[in-house]
Amino acid sequence: MSIARPLPAKTTLDVRPSARAWRLARVLGADWRLGFLFVLPIVTLVLALVAYPFGYAVYLSMTRKFVGMPPVFVGFENYVRLAHDGFFQRAVGNSAIFTFGSVAVKLVLGMAMALVLTSPIRFRSVFTGILLVPWVAPTVVTALNFLWIYDGSLGVLNYLLVKVFRVMPQGVGWLSEPGTAMASVVFVNIWRGFPFFGISFLAGMKAIPADLYEAAAVDGASVLQRFHHVTLPGLRNILIIVVLLSTIWTFNDFAIVYILTKGGPGGATMVLPVFTYEMAFGAQRLGDAIAVALYMLPPLALVIILLARYMRRGSAR
Amino acid sequence: MDESLCQLAERLDAGQLSRREFLRRSAVITGSTAAGLHVLHRMADGQTRPKMRVWLFKSFVTDCNDILARQVETWAKERKVDVEFDWATFGDREQKFVAAIEAGNPPDVAEMNYQGPMRYRAALRDVTKLAKDLAGARGGLLPYADRVVQVNGQYFGIAHQAFGGGLHIRKDVVSEKGLKMPKVYDPDVLDVAKKCQDPSKDLWGFGQTLNRCDDGNGFMQNILWDYGGSAWDKDGKPALATTFMKQNLEALKFCVDTIQKHKVQPPGVMGWTDVSNNEAYMAGKLVCTNNGASLYYAMVKKKHPLADKTAVILTPGGPAGSFTFVGAYNWGIFQKSKYHELAEDMIRWVEDEKHFEEFMKVSVGQAGPVYKSRADNPYWKTDPNFEGMKENILRSVWPGYPGPITPAAIEVQAQYVLCDMAGRVVTAGLSPEAALKEAHARVEEIHKFRSRG
Repeated sequence: MSIARPLPAKTTLDVRPSARAWRLARVLGADWRLGFLFVLPIVTLVLALVAYPFGYAVYLSMTRKFVGMPPVFVGFENYVRLAHDGFFQRAVGNSAIFTFGSVAVKLVLGMAMALVLTSPIRFRSVFTGILLVPWVAPTVVTALNFLWIYDGSLGVLNYLLVKVFRVMPQGVGWLSEPGTAMASVVFVNIWRGFPFFGISFLAGMKAIPADLYEAAAVDGASVLQRFHHVTLPGLRNILIIVVLLSTIWTFNDFAIVYILTKGGPGGATMVLPVFTYEMAFGAQRLGDAIAVALYMLPPLALVIILLARYMRRGSAR
Repeated sequence: MDESLCQLAERLDAGQLSRREFLRRSAVITGSTAAGLHVLHRMADGQTRPKMRVWLFKSFVTDCNDILARQVETWAKERKVDVEFDWATFGDREQKFVAAIEAGNPPDVAEMNYQGPMRYRAALRDVTKLAKDLAGARGGLLPYADRVVQVNGQYFGIAHQAFGGGLHIRKDVVSEKGLKMPKVYDPDVLDVAKKCQDPSKDLWGFGQTLNRCDDGNGFMQNILWDYGGSAWDKDGKPALATTFMKQNLEALKFCVDTIQKHKVQPPGVMGWTDVSNNEAYMAGKLVCTNNGASLYYAMVKKKHPLADKTAVILTPGGPAGSFTFVGAYNWGIFQKSKYHELAEDMIRWVEDEKHFEEFMKVSVGQAGPVYKSRADNPYWKTDPNFEGMKENILRSVWPGYPGPITPAAIEVQAQYVLCDMAGRVVTAGLSPEAALKEAHARVEEIHKFRSRG
């Protein structure tokens, strides 16, 4: 026979939240459980697809890692060794020349393209379409075409200069001579990238009210003054965003340099993305390769932070 | 199934079952029996037909690629094996291996180049027994091939073929000038180049890039040996700017001088890739160029007018002799393979002399011997140009020579250190001495790094 015992006082139906839950609700809000549930999928995705690979990459960059063998932790040794490596130092310098040289020219050409396309010319749509072709064409196709154009013996550029226009007695090794190798590679990046500047500026210019130009003209402003005091301020935000975006893309550009020169001759066109690739697959030093890639992070992070700040400021307005 | 259906039919006849219920039950029985049979069939298939992943190398000699693939397919059909092919090329070979090994998903068996056994040995099976069996039956491995496929006496690759080649030279142009075929670079090649070239007609004496590519790498390595130098000493220690500094400096100066002083090379040669000299030669713009047999193959195959006007001769040498390195392509079986016995069987099949001969005969000299007996095959006497190709293979040494082949010696090649050394003189204006010291520092660093294991 069992004797029914009274329930302990604590198990009576007490609906009051515990002190801990109450404190959490106070800090995180009343619906914090539901909130966490909603955020959980994206947090999981970010952790799995961004945080884990990034964390693992940071770890690998601090290891001596050969193909098929377990990594050996070496701390900051890879970073220190790279900092003293002449080839790496040249790659940093080349990357700066490649990026800033290319972005500067793209900026000027893009602005010129936008100004021409906003002026009242015939077949404006046709020109817009044609000028977009370099940007639309796949990078690999562009690079392979230029490889042929630049070829010292069989390239069309030397053929035109030597045989057709007869401006030079002998062809130039566009991708092989000190004065022309980097310039030739930069030119391809400019050719491919300037339409993005042009089309972005064109969109920005169309958003500037015509009244401003009319008012400036009534006040006696010249064309240059209108460009300086109306167009440029109107394009300021777009200009900054386009330059920052292009800086990131150009700094990371791998295909053009790799296809045209593989960083040669003698490292004259070696830029950091190609150097990373060569370290990983040529030297097969995976730790060093990731260290090179992570060396690229601080300048890129700075540009990304600036870009994000401007974009947020733009959307706040 | 028959019995169950019969019982159902009897019950239907006896009126114990409605027609609708009969149809339902018989459909269930038939369907589940069919599904069961299908599963059993798949299981049986799975047991009898293993699926092997085979990576082959796609060379420029396309007939060889086709024959090899067909041979593997024939083997697979005979052994009831499903084969999944993939191809690696000159441009993506190492990338594919690195990615597959690091992802833990390498093929079962793969055709590797000379770097494979040394670089991927952590992921490769020890195939010493098979390697010795095959070599023993073929008179033994040629010394250069033996060095490439083994590491400290353990074999991690089964030698397959060596890409023959040599100096491709326009015999019509040379004989027109009354000159002899060159035997050494300086003065023979220079002499032929200077006397035969005509820059006004865009015909250049010598086409040899020093740029970062296999052609540049091979030439730079050979020329150091030709002058009595090397990046390594007998013990495998860096020797670029130490033991062999004088010889290496002479060799480097010669290379650079072909472009800067003698001007026998076409404009843009420092920007060339592996195919550039092939294209330039076939376009009639070069008197001579060093290349693998694929250039001669392309001309023969296309019935190119220059095929008959081309002699392929021994690669010229220097004061210390004439040295070449011809990498042995080889088969590697990966540790992760579940079918290593089948992989070994496949290798035995394609390396069978009858099958290899079929492969070799379409190669136009590219499928060079790795085993001693194959060097005696009458095929090598069927074209006078094959003689030079074969001799180049027979006298081949190995990366790291005169020392042992080491991971550091392989990495010096993979990082194009010697090409960069020449490139720094030609394009950056460094003195040969400074470029040599700079390259030596890189070799030292690589040696130190790799020595730590």
